[in-house]
Amino acid sequence: MADPPAAAPAFWHAGFLYRSDAEYADTVAGFLREGLTRGEPVFAAVPPAKVSLLTDALGADARHAQFADMTQLGRNPAWIIPRVLAFAERHAGRHVRYVGEPVWDTRSAAELREATRHEALINLAFADADADILCPYDTVRLAPAVIADARRTHPLLLPAGGRGIARGHAAPHQIPSSCSSPLPAPPHDAMIHTYRTDLARVRALVSEHARKAGLSDTRAGDLVLAVSEAAANTLRHTRSHGSLSIWHDEDEVVCEIRDEGTITDPLAGRRRPVPGAPGGHGLWLVHQVCDLVEVRSDDSGTTIRMHMAITPPQAAG
Amino acid sequence: MDLLTTSVATVESASEPCTVVELAGEADVTNSDALREVLEAEVAKQPRMLIIDLSGLRFMDSSALHVILRANRVMDRQGGVLALAAPREPVAKMLRLTAADQLIPVYASVSEATAE
Repeated sequence: MADPPAAAPAFWHAGFLYRSDAEYADTVAGFLREGLTRGEPVFAAVPPAKVSLLTDALGADARHAQFADMTQLGRNPAWIIPRVLAFAERHAGRHVRYVGEPVWDTRSAAELREATRHEALINLAFADADADILCPYDTVRLAPAVIADARRTHPLLLPAGGRGIARGHAAPHQIPSSCSSPLPAPPHDAMIHTYRTDLARVRALVSEHARKAGLSDTRAGDLVLAVSEAAANTLRHTRSHGSLSIWHDEDEVVCEIRDEGTITDPLAGRRRPVPGAPGGHGLWLVHQVCDLVEVRSDDSGTTIRMHMAITPPQAAG
Repeated sequence: MDLLTTSVATVESASEPCTVVELAGEADVTNSDALREVLEAEVAKQPRMLIIDLSGLRFMDSSALHVILRANRVMDRQGGVLALAAPREPVAKMLRLTAADQLIPVYASVSEATAE
């Protein structure tokens, strides 16, 4: 292995726009093999079919790399950054390599917004990390708008074949408008409840609605915890009322908390709090127990939209 | 009825008497100051072991957790032990997700905690 330059830790975040399994196997496995050859810790979180593709391409070398099914690890995209940070921390002081494929074609519109947001937040979360991060995008199956966002969230773009590199359009710390502009309005028949201090009433409403919509006791309890934590922030950080909206369709129950508070840290809830830390657990719990969470916050206030699927999610194929 | 009720008792343990604080109802940001007062008063008596009986607690949020974590730090400094007993599943899950269960021993029941 060549001596690493003594310069500041190099954070390298590239999108890889692929057209076929062959390109994928060649370039992504090549990226992983390069890391293994250099003795770097290597981790790939990709959909299960891609795990097979990579392990086949790597052959015996695959056992030195760590793989995870991204449709589980990253079903909620907010779960990914803490897992990858944990991987980097386990190997602190060493250069690590990570392949993350958080975007696939069967994701819902809300999931795609969050997966894109996650990609933009990678630039922030790993800005000081000594890591190479490669994110494959399926240009055949994904919509052009999704690919356009991939160009916006990645500082670098790796062409098929892995030779040569182009600059992406990512501006540091910028989040594409597709996942930072206001959320689609709730349906007209959403239930709306205004609260100030009666969080028990907020919890009772969520619990009742969630069970009626078909959530199991456990998952209804998860949603109650998430909404209660979001509503507790209204009490902790504002002097005004908050509003709870609840609605559901055949697929999911959605609860939304809106208040006049402002969340300034875009990574809030995406870093695992230090055990015993005297704060920072609220948004962490919100992200951990929900299937998907969308946060929008500016000077005019904060919206936290929490999604729970009525059928407990299974890993995609 | 109060959202959160607390009661304090002393029970015999394997070695010496220990304090049991029983919580019932829902513990959240709206009553975490009251919870803090109860726990601080008991911690100040420097018991060897302080057990928080969670069996009657339907709900706990991160504000209540922070009060418990703070009490745990003081107990630690005093050379005592704080333990949690009999959390229901939603509370147990919250303790796992925050990794509080790695800092504070969690027992299935008060009697298991006092057997230590």
